[in-house]
Amino acid sequence: MASARVLVKRRKSIRNIRKITRTMELIATARFKKAMDRASEAAAYTRKINEIVADLAAADLKFSHPLLQQPPEEQNVAILVLTSNRGLCGGYNGGILRPALRRVRQFESEGKNVSLEVSGKRGLSFMKFEGIPIDRSYTQFEDKPAFDEVNELASRYVADFIAGRIQRLDVAYQEFLGSSKQAPTVQTLLPIGDLAGSGGADETSNGAAIDYEFLPSAEEILEELVPAAFKARFFKTFLDAAVGEQIARMVAMKSATENADEMIRDISMEYNRARQTQITSELAEIIGGAAALE
Amino acid sequence: MIAATELRLVLVTPETTLLDERVRSLRFPMFDGQMGVLPGRAPLVGRLGIGELKVATSAGGSDRYFIDGGFVQIKGSVVTLLTDRAIPVDEIDAAQAKSDLAAALAEVPTSEEGINAKERAVERARRMSGLR
Repeated sequence: MASARVLVKRRKSIRNIRKITRTMELIATARFKKAMDRASEAAAYTRKINEIVADLAAADLKFSHPLLQQPPEEQNVAILVLTSNRGLCGGYNGGILRPALRRVRQFESEGKNVSLEVSGKRGLSFMKFEGIPIDRSYTQFEDKPAFDEVNELASRYVADFIAGRIQRLDVAYQEFLGSSKQAPTVQTLLPIGDLAGSGGADETSNGAAIDYEFLPSAEEILEELVPAAFKARFFKTFLDAAVGEQIARMVAMKSATENADEMIRDISMEYNRARQTQITSELAEIIGGAAALE
Repeated sequence: MIAATELRLVLVTPETTLLDERVRSLRFPMFDGQMGVLPGRAPLVGRLGIGELKVATSAGGSDRYFIDGGFVQIKGSVVTLLTDRAIPVDEIDAAQAKSDLAAALAEVPTSEEGINAKERAVERARRMSGLR
Protein backbone atom coordinates (compact mmCIF):
# COMPACT_ATOMS: atom_id res chain seq x y z
CA MET A 1 0.00 0.00 0.00
CA ALA A 2 1.27 3.43 -0.90
CA SER A 3 2.31 5.63 1.92
CA ALA A 4 -0.04 8.32 3.12
CA ARG A 5 2.32 11.06 2.04
CA VAL A 6 2.38 9.96 -1.60
CA LEU A 7 -1.39 9.77 -1.64
CA VAL A 8 -1.73 13.30 -0.27
CA LYS A 9 0.53 14.55 -3.03
CA ARG A 10 -1.45 12.78 -5.72
CA ARG A 11 -4.72 14.01 -4.36
CA LYS A 12 -3.42 17.55 -4.38
CA SER A 13 -2.33 17.36 -8.02
CA ILE A 14 -5.68 15.89 -9.03
CA ARG A 15 -7.45 18.72 -7.23
CA ASN A 16 -5.39 21.19 -9.24
CA ILE A 17 -6.25 19.47 -12.49
CA ARG A 18 -9.87 19.45 -11.49
CA LYS A 19 -9.75 23.20 -11.00
CA ILE A 20 -8.40 23.62 -14.53
CA THR A 21 -10.93 21.32 -16.19
CA ARG A 22 -13.76 22.89 -14.25
CA THR A 23 -12.71 26.38 -15.37
CA MET A 24 -12.38 25.23 -18.96
CA GLU A 25 -15.84 23.76 -18.77
CA LEU A 26 -17.25 27.07 -17.59
CA ILE A 27 -15.41 29.00 -20.30
CA ALA A 28 -16.61 26.56 -22.95
CA THR A 29 -20.17 26.96 -21.68
CA ALA A 30 -19.97 30.74 -21.98
CA ARG A 31 -18.40 30.54 -25.45
CA PHE A 32 -20.95 27.98 -26.53
CA LYS A 33 -23.79 30.32 -25.59
CA LYS A 34 -22.22 33.12 -27.62
CA ALA A 35 -21.54 30.90 -30.61
CA MET A 36 -25.05 29.55 -30.38
CA ASP A 37 -26.52 33.06 -30.40
CA ARG A 38 -24.49 33.92 -33.46
CA ALA A 39 -25.61 30.78 -35.23
CA SER A 40 -29.27 31.39 -34.51
CA GLU A 41 -28.99 35.04 -35.57
CA ALA A 42 -27.36 33.99 -38.80
CA ALA A 43 -30.20 31.59 -39.47
CA ALA A 44 -32.45 34.57 -40.22
CA TYR A 45 -30.41 35.38 -43.33
CA THR A 46 -30.57 31.84 -44.66
CA ARG A 47 -34.28 31.71 -44.00
CA LYS A 48 -34.87 34.92 -45.92
CA ILE A 49 -32.73 33.79 -48.84
CA ASN A 50 -34.78 30.60 -49.00
CA GLU A 51 -37.92 32.68 -48.92
CA ILE A 52 -36.81 34.72 -51.91
CA VAL A 53 -35.83 31.53 -53.70
CA ALA A 54 -39.34 30.25 -53.10
CA ASP A 55 -40.74 33.56 -54.39
CA LEU A 56 -38.71 33.19 -57.55
CA ALA A 57 -39.78 29.59 -57.93
CA ALA A 58 -43.40 30.67 -57.68
CA ALA A 59 -42.78 33.05 -60.59
CA ASP A 60 -42.37 30.07 -62.93
CA LEU A 61 -38.70 30.66 -63.35
CA LYS A 62 -36.51 27.87 -64.53
CA PHE A 63 -33.48 27.67 -62.29
CA SER A 64 -30.37 27.58 -64.35
CA HIS A 65 -27.13 28.86 -63.00
CA PRO A 66 -23.55 27.65 -63.37
CA LEU A 67 -23.40 26.90 -59.64
CA LEU A 68 -26.44 24.66 -59.89
CA GLN A 69 -25.24 22.60 -62.79
CA GLN A 70 -23.47 19.32 -62.35
CA PRO A 71 -20.31 19.53 -64.47
CA PRO A 72 -20.05 16.74 -67.06
CA GLU A 73 -17.04 15.25 -65.34
CA GLU A 74 -15.52 15.64 -61.93
CA GLN A 75 -11.79 15.79 -62.25
CA ASN A 76 -10.70 18.44 -59.80
CA VAL A 77 -12.24 18.20 -56.38
CA ALA A 78 -11.71 20.49 -53.41
CA ILE A 79 -12.20 19.33 -49.86
CA LEU A 80 -12.29 21.75 -46.98
CA VAL A 81 -11.90 20.26 -43.52
CA LEU A 82 -12.94 22.38 -40.57
CA THR A 83 -11.21 21.44 -37.35
CA SER A 84 -10.41 23.35 -34.20
CA ASN A 85 -7.26 25.27 -33.37
CA ARG A 86 -7.19 24.00 -29.81
CA GLY A 87 -7.34 20.57 -28.30
CA LEU A 88 -8.98 19.21 -25.16
CA CYS A 89 -12.31 18.80 -26.85
CA GLY A 90 -12.80 15.07 -26.76
CA GLY A 91 -13.48 13.28 -30.01
CA TYR A 92 -14.38 16.45 -31.91
CA ASN A 93 -11.42 16.60 -34.29
CA GLY A 94 -11.05 12.85 -34.64
CA GLY A 95 -14.70 12.60 -35.52
CA ILE A 96 -14.30 15.05 -38.40
CA LEU A 97 -10.94 13.85 -39.67
CA ARG A 98 -11.97 10.23 -39.99
CA PRO A 99 -14.77 10.71 -42.55
CA ALA A 100 -12.78 13.48 -44.26
CA LEU A 101 -9.82 11.17 -44.74
CA ARG A 102 -12.09 8.44 -46.03
CA ARG A 103 -13.50 10.86 -48.60
CA VAL A 104 -10.02 11.94 -49.68
CA ARG A 105 -8.94 8.33 -50.13
CA GLN A 106 -12.09 7.58 -52.08
CA PHE A 107 -11.48 10.46 -54.48
CA GLU A 108 -7.86 9.45 -54.88
CA SER A 109 -8.80 5.88 -55.69
CA GLU A 110 -11.17 7.24 -58.33
CA GLY A 111 -8.22 9.04 -59.86
CA LYS A 112 -9.35 12.59 -59.19
CA ASN A 113 -7.16 15.54 -58.39
CA VAL A 114 -7.90 16.38 -54.81
CA SER A 115 -7.05 19.79 -53.45
CA LEU A 116 -7.14 19.49 -49.70
CA GLU A 117 -7.72 22.56 -47.57
CA VAL A 118 -7.65 22.41 -43.83
CA SER A 119 -8.72 24.96 -41.26
CA GLY A 120 -7.51 24.54 -37.69
CA LYS A 121 -4.19 23.56 -36.20
CA ARG A 122 -5.44 20.18 -35.05
CA GLY A 123 -6.36 19.11 -38.54
CA LEU A 124 -3.08 20.47 -39.92
CA SER A 125 -0.96 18.45 -37.50
CA PHE A 126 -3.04 15.36 -38.19
CA MET A 127 -2.52 15.65 -41.95
CA LYS A 128 1.18 16.25 -41.37
CA PHE A 129 1.37 13.11 -39.28
CA GLU A 130 -0.46 11.13 -41.94
CA GLY A 131 1.87 12.54 -44.57
CA ILE A 132 -0.92 13.99 -46.69
CA PRO A 133 0.01 17.18 -48.55
CA ILE A 134 -2.21 20.18 -47.79
CA ASP A 135 -2.88 22.73 -50.51
CA ARG A 136 -4.11 25.54 -48.34
CA SER A 137 -4.32 25.97 -44.62
CA TYR A 138 -6.16 28.40 -42.39
CA THR A 139 -5.75 29.03 -38.70
CA GLN A 140 -7.55 32.35 -38.38
CA PHE A 141 -11.01 30.90 -37.70
CA GLU A 142 -11.63 30.73 -33.98
CA ASP A 143 -14.91 30.52 -32.14
CA LYS A 144 -16.24 33.69 -33.79
CA PRO A 145 -15.83 33.37 -37.54
CA ALA A 146 -16.54 36.71 -39.24
CA PHE A 147 -18.54 36.75 -42.44
CA ASP A 148 -16.02 38.92 -44.26
CA GLU A 149 -13.26 36.39 -43.63
CA VAL A 150 -15.37 33.43 -44.65
CA ASN A 151 -16.65 35.36 -47.64
CA GLU A 152 -13.15 35.59 -49.09
CA LEU A 153 -12.94 31.83 -49.21
CA ALA A 154 -16.46 31.50 -50.55
CA SER A 155 -15.84 34.00 -53.35
CA ARG A 156 -12.74 32.11 -54.38
CA TYR A 157 -14.64 28.83 -54.55
CA VAL A 158 -17.40 30.44 -56.59
CA ALA A 159 -14.87 31.90 -59.02
CA ASP A 160 -12.98 28.60 -59.27
CA PHE A 161 -16.14 26.64 -59.83
CA ILE A 162 -17.48 28.94 -62.52
CA ALA A 163 -14.11 29.05 -64.27
CA GLY A 164 -14.04 25.25 -64.18
CA ARG A 165 -10.95 24.96 -62.01
CA ILE A 166 -12.86 22.82 -59.54
CA GLN A 167 -15.88 20.69 -60.28
CA ARG A 168 -16.89 19.89 -56.76
CA LEU A 169 -16.47 21.26 -53.25
CA ASP A 170 -16.93 19.12 -50.17
CA VAL A 171 -16.81 20.49 -46.66
CA ALA A 172 -16.15 18.20 -43.71
CA TYR A 173 -17.41 19.67 -40.47
CA GLN A 174 -19.41 18.96 -37.36
CA GLU A 175 -23.02 19.57 -38.22
CA PHE A 176 -25.15 21.06 -35.49
CA LEU A 177 -28.40 19.15 -35.14
CA GLY A 178 -29.36 20.20 -31.64
CA SER A 179 -27.58 21.26 -28.46
CA SER A 180 -27.10 17.63 -27.49
CA LYS A 181 -26.56 16.22 -30.94
CA GLN A 182 -23.84 16.92 -33.47
CA ALA A 183 -22.68 14.65 -36.21
CA PRO A 184 -19.56 14.87 -38.36
CA THR A 185 -20.60 15.21 -41.98
CA VAL A 186 -18.98 15.62 -45.34
CA GLN A 187 -21.31 17.83 -47.31
CA THR A 188 -21.13 18.66 -50.98
CA LEU A 189 -21.70 22.40 -51.26
CA LEU A 190 -20.84 22.84 -54.93
CA PRO A 191 -22.59 22.21 -57.21
CA ILE A 192 -25.61 23.24 -55.17
CA GLY A 193 -27.92 20.28 -55.35
CA ASP A 194 -31.21 21.63 -54.18
CA LEU A 195 -31.46 25.39 -53.90
CA ALA A 196 -34.69 25.48 -51.98
CA GLY A 197 -33.52 22.73 -49.65
CA SER A 198 -32.31 22.84 -46.06
CA GLY A 199 -35.72 23.74 -44.73
CA GLY A 200 -37.53 27.03 -44.37
CA ALA A 201 -38.73 27.29 -47.96
CA ASP A 202 -41.95 25.35 -47.59
CA GLU A 203 -43.49 27.65 -45.01
CA THR A 204 -43.76 30.45 -47.54
CA SER A 205 -45.38 28.35 -50.21
CA ASN A 206 -48.69 28.09 -48.40
CA GLY A 207 -51.43 30.57 -49.14
CA ALA A 208 -51.87 32.46 -52.33
CA ALA A 209 -48.73 33.37 -54.21
CA ILE A 210 -47.96 37.05 -54.05
CA ASP A 211 -47.57 38.76 -57.36
CA TYR A 212 -44.13 40.28 -57.03
CA GLU A 213 -42.57 42.96 -59.08
CA PHE A 214 -39.05 41.87 -59.96
CA LEU A 215 -36.32 44.44 -60.34
CA PRO A 216 -34.43 44.13 -62.64
CA SER A 217 -35.84 40.71 -63.61
CA ALA A 218 -36.26 37.33 -61.99
CA GLU A 219 -33.37 35.89 -64.01
CA GLU A 220 -30.98 38.62 -63.01
CA ILE A 221 -31.96 38.38 -59.37
CA LEU A 222 -31.34 34.66 -59.50
CA GLU A 223 -27.90 35.28 -60.92
CA GLU A 224 -26.97 37.12 -57.75
CA LEU A 225 -29.06 35.04 -55.42
CA VAL A 226 -27.44 31.69 -56.11
CA PRO A 227 -23.95 32.77 -55.01
CA ALA A 228 -25.52 34.49 -51.99
CA ALA A 229 -27.30 31.27 -51.06
CA PHE A 230 -24.06 29.35 -51.39
CA LYS A 231 -22.21 31.87 -49.25
CA ALA A 232 -24.86 31.72 -46.57
CA ARG A 233 -24.59 27.94 -46.50
CA PHE A 234 -20.84 28.04 -46.50
CA PHE A 235 -20.87 30.49 -43.61
CA LYS A 236 -23.24 28.22 -41.73
CA THR A 237 -20.72 25.37 -41.82
CA PHE A 238 -18.22 27.61 -40.04
CA LEU A 239 -20.77 28.67 -37.44
CA ASP A 240 -21.82 25.07 -36.87
CA ALA A 241 -18.20 24.06 -36.49
CA ALA A 242 -17.64 26.81 -33.91
CA VAL A 243 -20.68 25.75 -31.92
CA GLY A 244 -19.75 22.08 -32.18
CA GLU A 245 -16.24 22.71 -30.91
CA GLN A 246 -17.49 24.46 -27.80
CA ILE A 247 -20.06 21.78 -27.08
CA ALA A 248 -17.47 19.05 -27.50
CA ARG A 249 -15.09 20.86 -25.17
CA MET A 250 -17.85 21.45 -22.65
CA VAL A 251 -18.78 17.77 -22.59
CA ALA A 252 -15.16 16.60 -22.49
CA MET A 253 -14.28 18.93 -19.63
CA LYS A 254 -17.41 18.01 -17.74
CA SER A 255 -16.55 14.33 -17.79
CA ALA A 256 -12.93 15.15 -16.94
CA THR A 257 -14.12 17.07 -13.88
CA GLU A 258 -16.36 14.19 -12.89
CA ASN A 259 -13.52 11.73 -13.28
CA ALA A 260 -11.30 13.93 -11.15
CA ASP A 261 -14.00 14.01 -8.47
CA GLU A 262 -14.18 10.26 -8.51
CA MET A 263 -10.42 9.91 -8.26
CA ILE A 264 -10.27 12.34 -5.37
CA ARG A 265 -12.89 10.26 -3.59
CA ASP A 266 -11.03 7.00 -4.20
CA ILE A 267 -7.70 8.41 -3.19
CA SER A 268 -9.18 9.97 -0.07
CA MET A 269 -10.51 6.60 0.94
CA GLU A 270 -7.19 4.94 0.24
CA TYR A 271 -5.40 7.67 2.14
CA ASN A 272 -7.63 7.24 5.19
CA ARG A 273 -7.01 3.53 5.13
CA ALA A 274 -3.25 4.05 4.81
CA ARG A 275 -3.31 6.52 7.67
CA GLN A 276 -5.29 4.10 9.81
CA THR A 277 -2.82 1.30 9.06
CA GLN A 278 0.05 3.56 9.96
CA ILE A 279 -1.54 4.49 13.28
CA THR A 280 -2.34 0.89 14.04
CA SER A 281 1.15 -0.25 13.29
CA GLU A 282 2.62 2.57 15.39
CA LEU A 283 0.37 1.63 18.29
CA ALA A 284 1.33 -2.00 17.91
CA GLU A 285 4.97 -1.00 17.99
CA ILE A 286 4.50 1.06 21.17
CA ILE A 287 2.54 -1.69 22.86
CA GLY A 288 5.10 -4.23 21.70
CA GLY A 289 7.92 -2.06 23.04
CA ALA A 290 6.17 -1.57 26.38
CA ALA A 291 5.51 -5.29 26.67
CA ALA A 292 9.17 -6.04 25.99
CA LEU A 293 10.29 -3.74 28.84
CA GLU A 294 8.20 -5.45 31.46
CA MET B 1 -59.95 49.86 -48.33
CA ILE B 2 -58.05 51.78 -45.75
CA ALA B 3 -54.66 52.97 -46.88
CA ALA B 4 -51.82 51.10 -45.25
CA THR B 5 -49.98 53.09 -42.65
CA GLU B 6 -47.63 50.52 -41.28
CA LEU B 7 -44.17 49.81 -42.53
CA ARG B 8 -41.66 47.55 -40.88
CA LEU B 9 -38.01 47.37 -41.83
CA VAL B 10 -35.93 44.25 -41.28
CA LEU B 11 -32.26 44.62 -42.06
CA VAL B 12 -30.46 41.29 -42.16
CA THR B 13 -26.78 40.53 -42.68
CA PRO B 14 -25.31 37.00 -42.75
CA GLU B 15 -24.12 37.50 -39.20
CA THR B 16 -27.10 39.06 -37.51
CA THR B 17 -30.42 40.83 -37.77
CA LEU B 18 -29.35 44.42 -37.45
CA LEU B 19 -32.70 46.16 -37.42
CA ASP B 20 -36.26 45.08 -36.95
CA GLU B 21 -38.47 48.07 -36.28
CA ARG B 22 -41.40 50.11 -37.46
CA VAL B 23 -40.47 52.99 -39.70
CA ARG B 24 -42.26 55.76 -41.54
CA SER B 25 -40.33 55.51 -44.75
CA LEU B 26 -36.99 54.45 -46.10
CA ARG B 27 -34.70 55.03 -49.01
CA PHE B 28 -32.09 52.65 -50.29
CA PRO B 29 -29.90 52.12 -53.35
CA MET B 30 -31.11 49.69 -55.99
CA PHE B 31 -28.85 48.26 -58.69
CA ASP B 32 -29.75 51.19 -60.95
CA GLY B 33 -30.48 54.04 -58.57
CA GLN B 34 -32.25 55.15 -55.43
CA MET B 35 -35.58 53.79 -54.36
CA GLY B 36 -37.94 55.11 -51.76
CA VAL B 37 -40.57 53.10 -49.95
CA LEU B 38 -43.65 54.40 -48.16
CA PRO B 39 -46.37 52.34 -46.48
CA GLY B 40 -48.56 50.45 -48.91
CA ARG B 41 -45.86 49.64 -51.46
CA ALA B 42 -46.66 46.82 -53.87
CA PRO B 43 -44.78 43.53 -53.39
CA LEU B 44 -41.30 43.56 -54.82
CA VAL B 45 -38.17 41.49 -55.04
CA GLY B 46 -35.12 43.33 -56.23
CA ARG B 47 -31.39 43.65 -56.26
CA LEU B 48 -29.69 46.22 -54.09
CA GLY B 49 -26.80 48.41 -55.05
CA ILE B 50 -24.06 49.92 -52.97
CA GLY B 51 -24.74 53.07 -51.02
CA GLU B 52 -26.76 54.70 -48.33
CA LEU B 53 -29.82 53.36 -46.59
CA LYS B 54 -31.80 56.19 -45.03
CA VAL B 55 -34.55 55.35 -42.59
CA ALA B 56 -37.13 57.75 -41.19
CA THR B 57 -37.94 56.15 -37.86
CA SER B 58 -41.39 56.30 -36.35
CA ALA B 59 -39.95 58.39 -33.50
CA GLY B 60 -39.23 61.14 -36.00
CA GLY B 61 -35.48 60.74 -36.26
CA SER B 62 -33.50 59.24 -39.08
CA ASP B 63 -30.89 56.52 -39.29
CA ARG B 64 -28.28 56.16 -41.94
CA TYR B 65 -26.43 53.01 -42.93
CA PHE B 66 -23.98 52.03 -45.58
CA ILE B 67 -25.09 48.87 -47.34
CA ASP B 68 -23.12 46.73 -49.73
CA GLY B 69 -25.34 45.02 -52.27
CA GLY B 70 -27.80 42.24 -51.63
CA PHE B 71 -31.54 41.86 -52.06
CA VAL B 72 -34.75 43.52 -51.04
CA GLN B 73 -38.05 41.84 -50.53
CA ILE B 74 -41.23 43.80 -49.91
CA LYS B 75 -44.13 41.71 -48.79
CA GLY B 76 -47.17 43.25 -47.20
CA SER B 77 -45.96 45.86 -44.75
CA VAL B 78 -42.56 44.29 -44.23
CA VAL B 79 -39.47 45.43 -46.08
CA THR B 80 -36.58 43.00 -45.77
CA LEU B 81 -33.13 44.06 -46.82
CA LEU B 82 -30.55 41.31 -47.15
CA THR B 83 -27.06 42.62 -47.45
CA ASP B 84 -23.53 41.34 -46.98
CA ARG B 85 -22.52 44.32 -44.95
CA ALA B 86 -24.37 47.12 -43.20
CA ILE B 87 -22.48 49.76 -41.27
CA PRO B 88 -24.03 52.73 -39.47
CA VAL B 89 -22.73 55.85 -41.19
CA ASP B 90 -21.15 57.15 -37.95
CA GLU B 91 -19.00 54.05 -37.75
CA ILE B 92 -17.50 54.31 -41.20
CA ASP B 93 -13.77 54.71 -41.08
CA ALA B 94 -13.17 57.51 -43.57
CA ALA B 95 -9.42 57.08 -43.63
CA GLN B 96 -9.79 53.36 -44.25
CA ALA B 97 -12.25 54.02 -47.07
CA LYS B 98 -9.82 56.50 -48.65
CA SER B 99 -6.93 54.08 -48.53
CA ASP B 100 -9.20 51.33 -49.90
CA LEU B 101 -10.08 53.60 -52.79
CA ALA B 102 -6.44 54.35 -53.48
CA ALA B 103 -5.62 50.64 -53.36
CA ALA B 104 -8.50 49.80 -55.69
CA LEU B 105 -7.48 52.52 -58.15
CA ALA B 106 -3.88 51.39 -58.13
CA GLU B 107 -4.80 47.87 -59.12
CA VAL B 108 -4.05 46.85 -62.69
CA PRO B 109 -6.44 44.07 -63.66
CA THR B 110 -5.48 41.74 -66.49
CA SER B 111 -8.72 39.84 -66.99
CA GLU B 112 -12.43 40.47 -67.43
CA GLU B 113 -13.15 39.36 -63.86
CA GLY B 114 -10.37 41.53 -62.57
CA ILE B 115 -11.82 44.59 -64.27
CA ASN B 116 -15.25 43.92 -62.79
CA ALA B 117 -13.78 43.35 -59.36
CA LYS B 118 -11.84 46.58 -59.60
CA GLU B 119 -14.88 48.55 -60.68
CA ARG B 120 -16.87 47.18 -57.77
CA ALA B 121 -14.09 47.89 -55.29
CA VAL B 122 -13.71 51.44 -56.59
CA GLU B 123 -17.43 52.10 -56.42
CA ARG B 124 -17.71 50.67 -52.94
CA ALA B 125 -14.83 52.75 -51.64
CA ARG B 126 -16.13 55.93 -53.34
CA ARG B 127 -19.62 55.53 -51.97
CA MET B 128 -18.29 54.76 -48.54
CA SER B 129 -16.01 57.75 -48.34
CA GLY B 130 -18.75 59.89 -49.92
CA LEU B 131 -21.06 59.17 -47.01
CA ARG B 132 -18.65 60.27 -44.40
